[in-house]
Parts: sequence; C-alpha cells; structure tokens
Amino acid sequence: MSDEKEMVGYRQQPGKLPFARPGSGGKNQFSQLRDDELIPESQGGKKKQPWGDHRHDELVTSSAIGKRTPLYDAKWKVTGQAKYGDDIRLSNELIGKILRSPHHFARIKSIDTSAAESLEGVVAIATGADATAKFGVLPVTKDEHALAVNLVRHMGDLVACVAAEDEATALEALKLIEVDYEILDSNNDMAKGLEDSENPIHDRGKYHIGESNIQKRVFQEFGEVTNMEQKAVASHKANWHFQGVNHGFTEPHAVAAHWDPRGRLTIYTPQQVPHYLHRSLADVLEIPMHQINVYRTFVGGGFGGKSDPFPHEMCAAILARKSGRPVRITFDREEVFWINRGRHPSKIEMNLHADSQGRLCGVATDALIDGGSFASFGHVTTYYNGVLHTAPYEIGGFHYTGARVWTNKPASGAMRGHGAVNSRCAVEVGLDDLSEQLAVDPMTFRLANLLPPLSATITGFRITSTGMRECLEKVRAASGWDEKFRKLPLGHGIGVGCGFFISGSGLPIHWDPNKFPHATVHLKIDMDGGVTVHTGAAEIGQGSDTVVAQSVAEVLGLPLDMIRIRSRESDTSPVDLGSYSSRVTFMNANAAISAAMEIREELIEATTEITGADKEKLVIGDRRIYDKTDPAVGVSYLEALHKAQEERGALVASGAYRTPPMGRAHKGAAAGLAPAYSFSAYVAEVKVDVETGETKVLNVWAAHDCGKALNPLSVEGQIIGSCHMGLGQVLSEEMVYGRTGNLMNANLLEYKIPTVHEMPNVFPIIVESNDPEGPFGAKEAGEGPLLPILPSVCNAVYDAIGLRVNELPITQDRMHQNIEKLCKEQGVSDPLELTSPSIEYSQLQEILAKRAEEHEKRDKERRNSENVEPYHNGALFGYEATIPPEEQSNEWEVSVTPSQEYLENPRLAGSAWKHVERRHRSDA
Amino acid sequence: MTKPGHIPMLPQADKIGWSASVNGKSVSKSVESNAILLDVLRDYVGTLGVKRGCDMGTCGCCAVLINGEPRLSCLTLAQEVNDTDITTVEGLADGTHLAPIQETFAIYGGSQCGFCTPGFLVVAEALLRSNQNPTKDEIKTAIEGNLCRCTGYQPIVDSILAASEILSSNEGTIDSTQHQSDPHPGFIEEDN
Repeated sequence: MSDEKEMVGYRQQPGKLPFARPGSGGKNQFSQLRDDELIPESQGGKKKQPWGDHRHDELVTSSAIGKRTPLYDAKWKVTGQAKYGDDIRLSNELIGKILRSPHHFARIKSIDTSAAESLEGVVAIATGADATAKFGVLPVTKDEHALAVNLVRHMGDLVACVAAEDEATALEALKLIEVDYEILDSNNDMAKGLEDSENPIHDRGKYHIGESNIQKRVFQEFGEVTNMEQKAVASHKANWHFQGVNHGFTEPHAVAAHWDPRGRLTIYTPQQVPHYLHRSLADVLEIPMHQINVYRTFVGGGFGGKSDPFPHEMCAAILARKSGRPVRITFDREEVFWINRGRHPSKIEMNLHADSQGRLCGVATDALIDGGSFASFGHVTTYYNGVLHTAPYEIGGFHYTGARVWTNKPASGAMRGHGAVNSRCAVEVGLDDLSEQLAVDPMTFRLANLLPPLSATITGFRITSTGMRECLEKVRAASGWDEKFRKLPLGHGIGVGCGFFISGSGLPIHWDPNKFPHATVHLKIDMDGGVTVHTGAAEIGQGSDTVVAQSVAEVLGLPLDMIRIRSRESDTSPVDLGSYSSRVTFMNANAAISAAMEIREELIEATTEITGADKEKLVIGDRRIYDKTDPAVGVSYLEALHKAQEERGALVASGAYRTPPMGRAHKGAAAGLAPAYSFSAYVAEVKVDVETGETKVLNVWAAHDCGKALNPLSVEGQIIGSCHMGLGQVLSEEMVYGRTGNLMNANLLEYKIPTVHEMPNVFPIIVESNDPEGPFGAKEAGEGPLLPILPSVCNAVYDAIGLRVNELPITQDRMHQNIEKLCKEQGVSDPLELTSPSIEYSQLQEILAKRAEEHEKRDKERRNSENVEPYHNGALFGYEATIPPEEQSNEWEVSVTPSQEYLENPRLAGSAWKHVERRHRSDA
Repeated sequence: MTKPGHIPMLPQADKIGWSASVNGKSVSKSVESNAILLDVLRDYVGTLGVKRGCDMGTCGCCAVLINGEPRLSCLTLAQEVNDTDITTVEGLADGTHLAPIQETFAIYGGSQCGFCTPGFLVVAEALLRSNQNPTKDEIKTAIEGNLCRCTGYQPIVDSILAASEILSSNEGTIDSTQHQSDPHPGFIEEDN
C-alpha cells in the first residue's frame, strides 16, 4: 500500500506505541489513504482549483466526493428488486381504472353509474362530485379536479373512476357508465387562444384576462430598448415553431393508495415532488396533512413529468377511502400522453441585434406557448421563456413578451430544461446568424460578450460562478473547431450552442411560512457507527441519494457503505421541496453538509476529551480523528462516537438550506432567480443527406460547468442523457395533433424516441467553476446540459447545407421540403449542387478576439481577488460597472407593463395585453 | 340494465394450466388461455422485475429470456411458452454474487432510473452468452429494441463491454455481503 503513495501526515515516532495509520479506523489497518488528487491545494492536497478557495474546502477528507460513484440504489435496480409504482402490491388490493373524456371540450350534463355499480366485482365508483376541491402545483393557479366537475377540457380528461376486484371487471364497468355530454366548441390552435371566446376553458373570476383563453401573460423591458434596431449593424429575425414533446420516461404513472385501520392514508407513487402531492391530497381529501403519508416508490424516470400532483393519485385515494381497501391504478402508455405535462408547443419570434462593435445591443423575444387545458407549472414557464436567456451574454436591451394560453389539449408543464429550451435554441441560432452577418467566428462572438463571474444579469440575477468561457474553449479545442468550421464539404457541418440554467429555484413554490427552508436533512448515528440520513429529496434516478450520502461521508470521513439513506416516506423524512428546477444537489447537499458538520463538531469534542488534544488541530480522516500535527494522537471514529454518546445515546443532527435574499423588486423578479447558475457549450457535428433530407448527428462535444462534479459518473450520465433527450426534440420527437386536435401518436411506436442507433458519440467534458455557495462548489447538471444540443445541431445543419431551420423536429420530410425550397432560392435543380456556406472573417473578428482575451483576464482577476467590485450588465455598453444602470441613466428601462404605443402594434404573444383583466373593467 | 347493443368485454377465456421453469424454479399456475406472458409473470408468478413500459413491443422493458433467447413478454402469449425455461432479471445473479452484467451496469452508470434496466440486462446477457467478446456495433444491434430515456445508451454500451471483459478474464464478481468496510477499532498487530 505504502509503495503507491507517500502517506500524508503519517510519521512513526520512536518510543511511541504503534498506532493506527491516519487512514485507518478498522481491523483493516490499511483501509484507505488520503487521496491527494481530490484534496484542494489550499488544504495541502494536489487538486488544482483554478480559481479561489471554496468555503467547504476544509471539510474535504477525500473519502467520497469527486469520485466516480455507482448509484446508491443501483444494485436494487440491476437485480429487479427495485419497487416502482406498479410493483407495490398490497394484499386485498383492488384495481382502479379511469373513464376518460372522448370529447375535446364538453359540459357533463349527467353521469349514470348505476349499471356499473351493479356489475359483480365492482366495489367503488367515484365521479367529480366526490371531490370538488381544486388543486394544482402552483398555489396561484389551482385549476384541476380529481375528476371533471362540470367540464371536460381535453380528450382524455378524467370523468369517473372505478375500483374492482380485477382489471377486466374495472374496464367493463367503465363501459357501463353512461355520461351525457353537451359538446362545446373546442380549440387546439394556440393563436386562437389569444382571442375572446364564448366559453373560455377556465374562468379565473376577477383575474380572468378579457374573455380570452390567456392563462398568463408577461411583459418585460430592461435596458436601452427603444432604439436597439437603429443601433444595430446586423439584425436577426426568426419565427420559430416548436412542436410539443413528451418526457417519454419508461415507467408509466402508477399509484397505490391505502387507508390504514387508524384512518391514515398512505399513498405509494413515483413522484418527483412528494411534498406538493402531500399538500394537494390534503386539499382534495379535506383532511389534515398529518393524516397522510406520501411514500415515494422508485421512480422510473421523471424529467418533470412526475412533478405535478396528479388527479389519478387523488382518484386512488378517493376509491380506497370509499372501498376501505387498497387501490392500485396503473396507466397504459396512451394515458401517459393524455396526462402529458410535456414541453409546451411554442411559437417564438426572436429578434437579435448586434452593433458595430460586435456587442449584443438588443434581444427582443415574443413567445406564445400552448399550455393545453390546465395551468400546471405554466405561470413559471411563461416567465422562463424570457428571463432564462438574459445570460450568459451581456445585453444592451431586453424586451420580452410572453403568453400562455389554454387549449383543449392535454396540459403542458415542466420538462427538463423547463421553459428555457425552446427560446435558448432560438437565441443561439440567432447568434450564429448574427456572426454570419458580421463575418466573425461564432465562438469568438460569444467569447467577447460573456458576463464575468460575480456579476448581475440585465434582469438582476446574480451570477456567482461561471465556467462559460472554459466550456467554449474546451469544446473548441476538442472538436477541432478551427479546422472544421465553414470548411467541411456540402452535407457535413459543425455548429456551436450554449446553455444557461438555474441551479435551484430561488423562490419555493409554497413560500409559507416565509422562512421555511427549501431542504432539510436529519442525521442519526447510533452505537453501530452507521449514519442514517433522513431526507425528503426525491431520488428519481438522477442520483440524489448518492450525492447526499457522499456529502455526509465526506464531512465525517467515512466510507460510503456506512451511510444509509431513508428518503421515501413523508412520515420519516423532513420536508424537501422535491426534484425539480435542478435544486436537489445544491440545496439538499448543502443541508446535509450543515447537519454533518454538527456531528463532526461533536466527534471532535469527544476526541479532545479523550486525548486532551487541541480542538483546532484535530482533523477527520478515514474513520479516525487525529491531531494533524501529530497523527499518533487520535482515536478511532467509533471511540469518539461512543464517547460522544455517553449519557445521551444516538447522535442526531438537523441541517437546512434556504436561499439567500436575492433579486430585484419588479413584478416577476423572482422568476428565474437561483442561488447559482450552470453553463454549458456544445459543438455538434452532423451529416445531412441533401437528397433524402436525413440528418444524422455524428459527434457531440459537450462541456458543462457543474461547479464541481461531486459524482463525475452521474454528471457524465446526465450530460449524455440530456444529449439523447434534446436530440429527440431536434430530430424526431413531436406530439402530433390532427386537424381537430386529436393526439395522433400517443404511443412509443409513433412518438419517436431515439434508439441506440440515432445516438452520436458524445464526449462529455466537465468544467468545474467551484461555486462559492454550492456544496463543495457544486451546481446543477441535470437540466442545463439539455439546452445547447438543439441549437448546436441546428447551427451544424446550416454549416452543412446553408439552411436555417425554424421548425423542430427536423424530420426527414420537413428537411426534404426545406431543401427543395433552398434549391429554388439558389436556382439549382440538383440539391448536390447547393453551395456549402463559407466565411471570410471581417476586421471585426480581430477586435472581438482581442476583447475576448481582455475579458478572460478580467474574469481571472475577479475570481482570484478577495474583494470584488460589483459588475452590472451594461458595463460593456459604457455604463459604470459598479452601479446598476437604471440608477445612472433615464434611458435604461425597467418596465413590466406595455406602453400604449406598443399596444398599437404588438407582436403575437404581446397582443395578449390588449385584453383588460376583468377586475379592471368598468362593466365587470 | 345495460344499454342496448352492449357487448361485455369480460374475458370469456377458460382457465387452463400453465407451467414453466422460471429462474430455475418450476411453477404451474392456472391462467386464462389468452393470458399474456408479461401479466402471468407479474401477476401470477410474482417476478415484478419484469417491467411494463408500453404494452406494444416498442420499449423492451418487458424482455425475458425464453430458453435463452430474448423475447418481449408483452407480445408473447403465455401458452406459447408453456414448459419452457424462462429467465427474468431476478434469475441472473448467482446467490449473493451478481452476474457480471449486473455488476457493470451498476458500476458504469448503465442504470439511472433503472426501469429499462431489466430489459437491457436480459438482452445483454443473451448476447454475452452467444458472443463473449462483442464489438460495439454488435452490442448496438443487440439492444436496438430497448429504449432508455436516462443514459443516452453510451454508459449501457460501456457496461456491456466491461462485462464481456470480466467474462473473458474469468474473474467473476465479488460477494455483495463480503466487501463492507469495518468501522470497529480492531486489534492491530505489532509490526515486528
């Protein structure tokens, strides 16, 4: 063992008794040595940290973080012992089935369940009358019922449910339920949703916007917005159409509910966000929250699709209450598409302007998003479509109008990269076009316009750490960009795209009581020495159990197998807000670290009591606590633990995380706020067959700044997996609605998820910017990596054949049509004669390269200096960096309502502001 | 009672005997003559490791080995495979020793949410039984019928390659009960 590495801190002193090595606490005296490669230089290790110290550095013991760690629960999964939703089989269970609406939009005149009730084997039936309370994931938009009350709003909406002895009987009973509908005019066109309607899909009372189907509208202006077009020497305008996509997780929704003999409900469900389900169940069932235990089963993929409280979960609870027996409801794949909550179909108008110095002097976005029939997370999505593209670039002026409308389709909701994916694609493709117009390299163009670390965006988000520059530089080198860009033959191209995403939503969805933490972790250590971690963070396959175990192991200097996670039940887990908005690693691991630090303190105190050593000098190694100046002085972990447990038994500790106060005060300022942001840059290399329109992605170089990779195995898994999901949206996936709004492809045969053959070679590159507030420096890696894949493929397609796509997915038939059109434009009959784009750099290229170089120096200085001056977006345009531009100039707008002038000629989504809210109308 | 023209959809099929050897254990059950193998395995035999993802043969989550050949259990009538050897994911491990393919899926991140894993595992197991040193392309062809939404397939291919290396090295896998670290302050022998 000792021949491999010199042991740090170990020295045998003459005359002293042999002692266990610092890296040992057990029978195996050579169990584990300090791994210097994982310990930062500031702590005497060899791990190079290019910028600054991190506040958790002194806690690094090299036991767990930074190592490629198999998932905590992987062995349950590979042996088939993992119990997912439908694997919960309670004795004496009934099977629940749901009757769904055959109409897009209808009024329920009557429901007759008598025939179904008298069918042998039917035990309970429920309809909308059984639970009239509304629920929804966001408290401001509770608009769902367990079962339709009065109106069905989309085909597949829940009408009634049956619990029977077996599935066949339940299905037969559904056919015997007679529902009398009055069919209403339905709408599946999002643009029509902006107009007044006789029967709006929902009624929001005094908050209803006109008589329209507009669920949410946003108007935001920041910076110099009035003359962005005049200042520009290059302008990009594109009208995008993104089709809706579904999460496509492999496990269909399933739920089992059981009321125990004491009258408490336990609900077993694969939920990403058990806590919000907990709240909604209490609302709908009209019982206190403490009467409910939400048990999260293994989750067979979520990606946002299992983060709403769902009506079928309410149905199972209602049926189980009525029947007095456990009820299990499992969806088939078609039902998964009916409940949907996938990415919004969107129409986005993107306008970008660059001035003569190659600065991004204006961004004007107009996004109309199709929410389907319910609000879900839509309130937030509407903001995210705008505010999440205000970085990583410095912007001179930002105008955003967004609107989300109800249509009679399955509801859209949150999906990986929530709200940011489509508009990010439009921005990044626009940047490619701008650099083409300016005749500069799009890499350089981006590098010369980046916000520095410890800065504020135009909307007031604080950027603590950013590895954007390193991401770009790494993919540039790895992909051989300089040799390939605009130099590859026709049909072969390369493109770049960037991403920016929140690492945890700064404002919790339920913000009452105000100071409630976002994440809480409890630790318990009894005499056996193993650490039980109680956390409510929902493990959905992303590795949250593993990360929390790693964090605790790292602080306590223990091997991972001594950590056990209890994260399933709300009865035993402290509240965690759930697996959404890429918050879990950042918030939950921070909470775990603070709990573990409490225990660490107690162990160190106990060691002082035993050895009399100076507390300040004691450090924790692998299952041993010792004096770092004299490693001979120390005790094993268990000795210290047992000392600390004298007269009190098990050690328990609780840690919590809450975001610091952040952001501005304007309406909507909280949307997009996060304690940290992740950055990424991808280069994609594609081949387009100009004759058939087939697009094949060959290679993707994917650099992602996750702050610090606590588990590089998981980070790489997330990067490659994000590429897969994003590629689906770019190449093949779409929810196809027919002329009248029928969903045509509610199955995995026609909804085309890429198989192994469509996957390119992905080269994941991890960039570590060491976030000052992240746990050991970490930020998110789950959603951000999805963003750049769409634009990098679109830009590569342009490099290959000179075609700007503006509708996704780029299926073969769409591409074929596009290429035919392009041939006509270029006046060639054979697509093989198309010209492949080429570029000759203008003088601006050199100016930008120089600016990028200066900025690189600026960023380095900011990272490494102790006292950093504020940097507000706008400095690049001549404003004083240390003072917010709005305090310096009247020309700097901060506005959240449109002017009369704008309303005279609004863009598509902007026209939502033509309506007056009912409460503001004189006739209301 | 029922509306005119209503055709009851309750299965009229007779219950008949079904027997097979599932993971080395012989089972006989009385099932409907038109029962689907997936339902029989999940609801009658209790091998819940076999997953239902799509019900139409598109996702591969329900794959099992029938006499060593991978088959989609959601598209297989139970009666078709009467008296066969069926292996599900539960039958891959040898006691507390995981099969190499299980071990490598855990180590190399071949399994994230894990729902598609049982299907991938049995398909990969079948491949490795017939071809101990598959190439990347052969692996891709073998798993083309399985969908995974988490991993992007790359770690799965890596896992299968790694398993083939374990198989060729004949090293086998470790006993999962024997590698736990020991926190006890045991006796340390004096170094002479």
